[in-house]
This record gives sequence, structure tokens and C-alpha cells, in this order.
Amino acid sequence: MKRSVFAGPYVVWMVLSTIAPLLFVVYFALTSASGAFTLNNLVKFVDPIYLGVLWRSLYLAFYCTVICLVIGYPAAYFLASKDFSKNQALFVLILLPMWMNFLLRTYAMMSMIEDTGMINNLLKWMGLEPLEMIGTEGAVLMGMVYNFVPFMILPIHTSLKKMDNRIIEAAEDLGAPPAQVFYRVVMPLSLPGVISGITMVFMPAVTTFAISRLLGSGNFFLFGDIIERQFLEANDWNFGSALSLVMMALILISMSLLNKADPKQEGSGAY
Amino acid sequence: MVENTRLIELIGVSKDFDGTQALTDINLYIRKREFITLLGPSGCGKTTMLRIIGGFEYPTQGQVLFEGKDLTAVPPYKRRINTVFQKYALFPHLNVYDNIAFGLKLKKMPRDQIEARVKRMLKLVKMTGYEKRGVEQLSGGQQQRIAIARALVNEPEVLLLDEPLGALDLKLRKAMQLELKAMQQQLGITFIYVTHDQEEALTMSDTIVVMKDGRIQQVGDSKRIYDEPKNAFVADFIGESNILQGTMIQDELVSFCGQKFPCVDSGFGEDQPVDVVVRPEDIMIVGEDVGMLTGRVISTLFKGVHYEMMVEAGGFRWKVHSTTMQPEGSQVGLSIVPFNIHIMHRSTEPETRGDED
Amino acid sequence: MSPRKFFRGTYLGLLLAFLYSPIVVMIALSFNGSRSRAKWGGFSFKWYAELVGDRQILSALQLTLIIAVVATVVATVLGTLAAIGIHAMKKRPAALIMNISYLPMTTPDIVTGVSLMLMFVFIKLPLGFWTMLIAHIAFDTPYVLYSVMPKLKQMNVNLYEAALDLGCTPLKAVWKVIVPQIMPGVVTGALLSFTMSLDDFVISYFTGGSTDKNLSMVIYSAARRGIEPSIYALSTIMFLVVLALLIVINKRSSLENVA
Repeated sequence: MKRSVFAGPYVVWMVLSTIAPLLFVVYFALTSASGAFTLNNLVKFVDPIYLGVLWRSLYLAFYCTVICLVIGYPAAYFLASKDFSKNQALFVLILLPMWMNFLLRTYAMMSMIEDTGMINNLLKWMGLEPLEMIGTEGAVLMGMVYNFVPFMILPIHTSLKKMDNRIIEAAEDLGAPPAQVFYRVVMPLSLPGVISGITMVFMPAVTTFAISRLLGSGNFFLFGDIIERQFLEANDWNFGSALSLVMMALILISMSLLNKADPKQEGSGAY
Repeated sequence: MVENTRLIELIGVSKDFDGTQALTDINLYIRKREFITLLGPSGCGKTTMLRIIGGFEYPTQGQVLFEGKDLTAVPPYKRRINTVFQKYALFPHLNVYDNIAFGLKLKKMPRDQIEARVKRMLKLVKMTGYEKRGVEQLSGGQQQRIAIARALVNEPEVLLLDEPLGALDLKLRKAMQLELKAMQQQLGITFIYVTHDQEEALTMSDTIVVMKDGRIQQVGDSKRIYDEPKNAFVADFIGESNILQGTMIQDELVSFCGQKFPCVDSGFGEDQPVDVVVRPEDIMIVGEDVGMLTGRVISTLFKGVHYEMMVEAGGFRWKVHSTTMQPEGSQVGLSIVPFNIHIMHRSTEPETRGDED
Repeated sequence: MSPRKFFRGTYLGLLLAFLYSPIVVMIALSFNGSRSRAKWGGFSFKWYAELVGDRQILSALQLTLIIAVVATVVATVLGTLAAIGIHAMKKRPAALIMNISYLPMTTPDIVTGVSLMLMFVFIKLPLGFWTMLIAHIAFDTPYVLYSVMPKLKQMNVNLYEAALDLGCTPLKAVWKVIVPQIMPGVVTGALLSFTMSLDDFVISYFTGGSTDKNLSMVIYSAARRGIEPSIYALSTIMFLVVLALLIVINKRSSLENVA
């Protein structure tokens, strides 16, 4: 008996639960409600309204990624540095929110920034004017950053931790001052972690619908929202599938761009 | 002593891995109680051959016989053969005792018997008292001993050893070589040993099988392989050699370096291109005026027991081993007795065993 | 303390404040006797009591746990067997299967959700418990596969052969030698599956239909209606459960290997 037969049930399962559903998406995207082949669903997407939504999703996700990187890299660096590397509790504490349901995190954020939320209560108590936060793009962005920043810290921290300390000593030995050591050695070597962090933040940010729905108060839509609406409200599954296809393509393109930046594939989990 | 009965026979064995030919038409027999070594550089097919005998690979062509019966398709767990793997392959989740007892437990042997046999094995490999240790706490040498015990406790007819000493340091390796040889003689079973270390092969083996590119180059005992290499590859791989191209002028007369030399080989025909092999220790350094060749010493290295000198003579760089040192730049004469000039055919033909007994 | 360490400590402290102030506020409010967030109505367990009496939340909890347990068990068995099988395959088919298995991990949840939903509806499987379970098994299994595979690769290649050599049949060799070797990976994969299942919202949202709701779905619909203090209580409990789970996982291996 060959050991490879152990994979048999899984291969069948994989075909049914991974490949088949995606084929259904393709099928629905390329047919009309009556089942005839059509490209109308894709053509329909090329419309200022939908392109505008796509654009908003992209720039919000982009801002979110940049902010997470700016906040997260120093945090990961400090955590991995001699000053705090022994402090396991601090590390766990910073990553703990990652494991908390994102809806709960979003819900917690809601109760902070609502019109009658904690921040405005605080401002009122200090005798200041309340701010209008919820329902704005800023609120959605804040919610995204709040949700995703640990996902940026973790992979960067991992790649910094993995770094052989002797490499840094070698750089110092060769005469590099601290700034140069960081710029010429540490940063390039942590690049795989950065790439994987960017992936782990950008992907969920560009596809979310719940965060925008809860923190944007339905004032504006993101790409995820319009997909959800096609399936659960508008009941236009064909158009929804076409949108899903566009989103898949978007993800695959950005993944391959990111992989190009990290040719050794250290950051991603690809086989 | 080695018995004359053929225990294992490989007949026309070839193995092909997705288009890469690992073994080509191997014919070999292995006798009872023989210590036989498969020797060759990496990628020569020696490990593949061992794995075919162990049952981990099946030959693409050919047959493996065990006491005359076809063994080719018998799975490893039904063979009376056990293996000591390259990196020992001890089970990390089991302690020393359970590692050694693994095979016996599978045979459902009574517990007291298992215990007695494991104890006996530990004594044999000089590891008494280590029963409860985890195998990952052991040193490389100790793991090696446990791996041997784990295989031998099943009382196999044949023990396969795949570069078992490769990971040990030099001193330990030398000691283990002697121990392994002693063990094999004490137990009276067949050892098939794979190594790329020619010195190891020469020390331990009754028979050496020299391999290259999936083909057997020469089969013979240590002395014969060393003294009468079949071709330039064997000569070069076993010990150090000077290998030159020459011409066999007639029987017992060869020419190289533009000169004629008397030798003891014959039967090559007249004016035939041949390879000429001379061992560095077989070249005598003599006075410039009495040498068969004269040349200049271009480098001298102290090697412990002897000096290794490179001498440029007759348009060739000779490697010469001698206990007396000649300074660099000095002019010397070289002399070789006819017996030490080995003549070989240029072509390398596959070898089958059966010529030495 | 050096100025450098002070600066770094302050930075991390601010980050912690950013991450935890909403959570701390939420936990505090879950004990607030008053419904209003503006004033403190005294320490009270009343929202917890309300939670315990809430049948919708209790059945959602039950559903979430059943799905997580069953999906984890199935995914762990399926994924572990798959890893062993794929490990023994030749390079190309192995790489093909691994790459396809990687697909669900990169596919956005929303696309995974709608694609499964499309298929279920197309083959006329009513959306509910069973479809949600199938979906969970589908997204859990690759995580098990990817947790077990490195352990197999780390394993000495000859261990399996050594077991055969010593008399094991192939099945016995897998059970007695390979499985014990990869156990840490199997357990990690199972824990990961369990956490993912407990936590999942998007895929359940699309494949669970409108009748069978898991906890995340209940939280989402509650959040859309506005603030509900009993959800604060629920969040607090869930936060503590995750904390406990994480401590267990962290004891097993470092956090980085899990994530």
C-alpha cells in the first residue's frame, strides 16, 4: 500500500470544497439570470459608482496598511530588541487582541467613538465640544487600524527575532554605526516580515464589509459591502459573482506583486 | 570466516528515477558472513543499491535473490535484513530501551525475553545502563551504537549500514571501525556497508565493490583493489595516484613522458593507448644522474609520516611521497621499478564479480 | 533605566493604551448598573444575568461550540492524513495539492463565503447548520495541513523506513512512528482550527442562512441595532475565554509558531 492514498479523502474534499465553489463563482459571473453566457456582469462593474467604491476600498486599505506599518514596525523592533525581548508577557499582551473576535473589537471601538461614546463623554466632561466621528471615513480607517495593527507587528517581530545576532555584530565589526546597521542590515533582513505584514493587513482591509458597516453607519460603501448587498439584499448573484471575481483578481495581483518584492518567499506560506 | 555460499545475488539490476539512471545492470553476489563494502563518490548509486537490498526501493529491472529465492518484491518488513540508517533514524519519541525493543515487540515476543535480549545488545554495544535515556540526549557516537543495537537485536542474517560513521569525528570513527569489524566477526553475519571513505573501506572489508555512475568498476579484496586497480578511476579513488596517458609498445614495455619503461603487464597488444598509474609512494627519489626521469621539486609539504612533493619531470607533475625531504627548487632524479607501473585500458567497462575466487 | 529604554517603553505603553482602552471600557461597562454610558450606575451583574436568560445567545453559543468541535475533529483527521499522504507523494503532485490548499487561506473570506453559498444553493442544500459545518471544515482543513507538513518535513526521512525495516507494516509504521512525531503539529493545527471556527463571522454569515446563527452573527446583528450592554457582558466573557485559550496555546509553543 502506498502512503499517498492517505491524501485521497482530502483531495476529493479539496475538489468539492475549494475548487468547485470557485468554479461556481466563475460560472455565475459569466452568465445572466437565465443562465445564458454574458459579459454584462463584468461590464456593469465598469461604472463610476462601482469604480468609486473600489477606489475608496483601495485607498482606505492603503492608508490603513501604511499607518499599521508606521505604528507596527517600531513596536516590533522595540519588542524584539534587547530592552524588551525577555518580556514575554508584554509581547503576548500586544498580540492578544489579534485573537479576539474582530466584531467585538469593532464593537468596542464603536462604544468609544459613537456620538454618545466614551471619547465624547470625556470631551463633554472636560467642557469641550463633542466630535462627530462615527459614520466618517476616518472612523472606518481607525477601526481598521485598531483591528489589524497586531497582524503587522507579529510577522515583523518574527523576522527580527529570527535574525542572527552575529550578523549585526559583524556589521558593527565592519564599522557600521547603529543607523547604518539598521538601514543596511536589519531593515533588508526584516523585509520578508514586512511583506507578510502588509499582506496580512491589506488583504482583510480591502475586503472587509462589517467594519465599514458598523463604523461607517452605512453612510458609504466599500467593495465588500457591495458584494454582500448583491447576495443578501439585491439578490443579483450574477453581478455579485462578477464582483467577487474582480476582488479575487485584485487579491491575486497584489499577492503576486508582493511576492515579487520577496522572491525568497520567506514571508508567505506558499509551498 | 567468509563462507562460500552465495547469500544475496543481484542479477541485472537497474534502477531509474524519473529518467535518471541510478544503477545500470548490476551483477553481484554477496557471500555468507562477508563484510562487503560498497564504495564510491556521492551519486554513484551505492546507497540506491543498499536500499534495493533493504527493500526500500524496487529495481526497475533485474532481480534480487536471497538464498536463491526471489526477494525483489518482498517488502522490507518481511526481509531478514536490518538497516543502520545514515543519520541513525532513532525514534525520538521512544527511549533507548523502547527503540531497541521496537522490532521484538512487533514480533510479540514475551517481555522477559525482550528484556534479556535488549540487555545483551546494550552490553554488546557497550551502552549498559542507558535504557531509560531519551535518544536525543545521547551523543552522536552513542546514538550510533543504539542504532546498531536496534538493528542487531532482531538477529538479522544481513546488516545494512549506510555511511554509519559519517557524522562522527575522526578518532571516534577509527575506533568504531574496529569495533564494527569485531562485532561482525563475533556475530558471524553478513555486513553490507556503504561508504565514500576509501580508507574506511580498506580497513574493514573482506570485499570492496568500487562504484561510479551506477556501475560497478571493480570487485575485490582490499589488497587487490589497492595494488591492482582495474582502471584509472579506481586507482585515483583508492589511495593517491599519478595517472598518465601512455602507449603500450609491446608486452612489458610502455612509453610515457617521452621515454620507454619496462613494466610487468602484458596482453595489451602493440602500440596501444593505455592509462599508466603510479602510486606516489612507489616513486623513489634518487640522484639526478641515476634517475629514469629528472626534474625539479616545485613544492614540498610535510604530511606527518612523510613528505609530499610535487616534482615536474618529463612534462608531468608527479606526486611523490617520501620520508626524506627535498627542498623546493632542487633538481632530482625519479626512479620506478617495473612492478610498480600499473597499466590499464583506457575505457572503463562495467565489471561483474566472479573473477577473484 | 536608559533614556532609550524609557522612550521605547513609553511607545509600547501608548500602543497598549490604544489597543486596550476600548476593551477595558467595554469590560467596565459590562458591570455598569446603568444602561447609559455617560454615568456609572453602580457595580452590577445584571447584564450577565440578562445574557444567561437570553435564549438566542445561548443557542448561538451552543451552535458555535458544536460547529467548532465537530469541524476541528473532522479537519484534524482529514488534514493530518492528507499531510502524511502528500508528504509521500512526488514533488509535482504534492506541490499542486499544497498550492490549491493554500488558495482558501488567501481567498478573501467574503469570496469563500459567497462561493460556498452559491454552490450550496445550486445543489439545493438548504443553508443552515450542515452547510455552515461543511464550510468550517473547508476552511479549517488547510490550516491543519499546513501545521502538520513542517513537522513531517523536519522528521528524519528514514524514520518510516526504519520502522518498516524493524518489521512494521506500512499502516503500523504510520501509527507507531509518524503520528507520534507529528503530534505537536497536529495539536497546533487542531487548536488553530478550533480558534478559527469559534471566531469566524464572514463565512458563517453567508453559509449559515438566516435561522442558524453563531455568536459572531448574533453580535453583528446586535451591533447593527446599536449598543446593547448585554453584548458587553458577552464580549467580556469571550475575551476571557480567548485569554485562557491563548495561555494554553502559549504554554505549548511560542505564540509565533501558532500564528
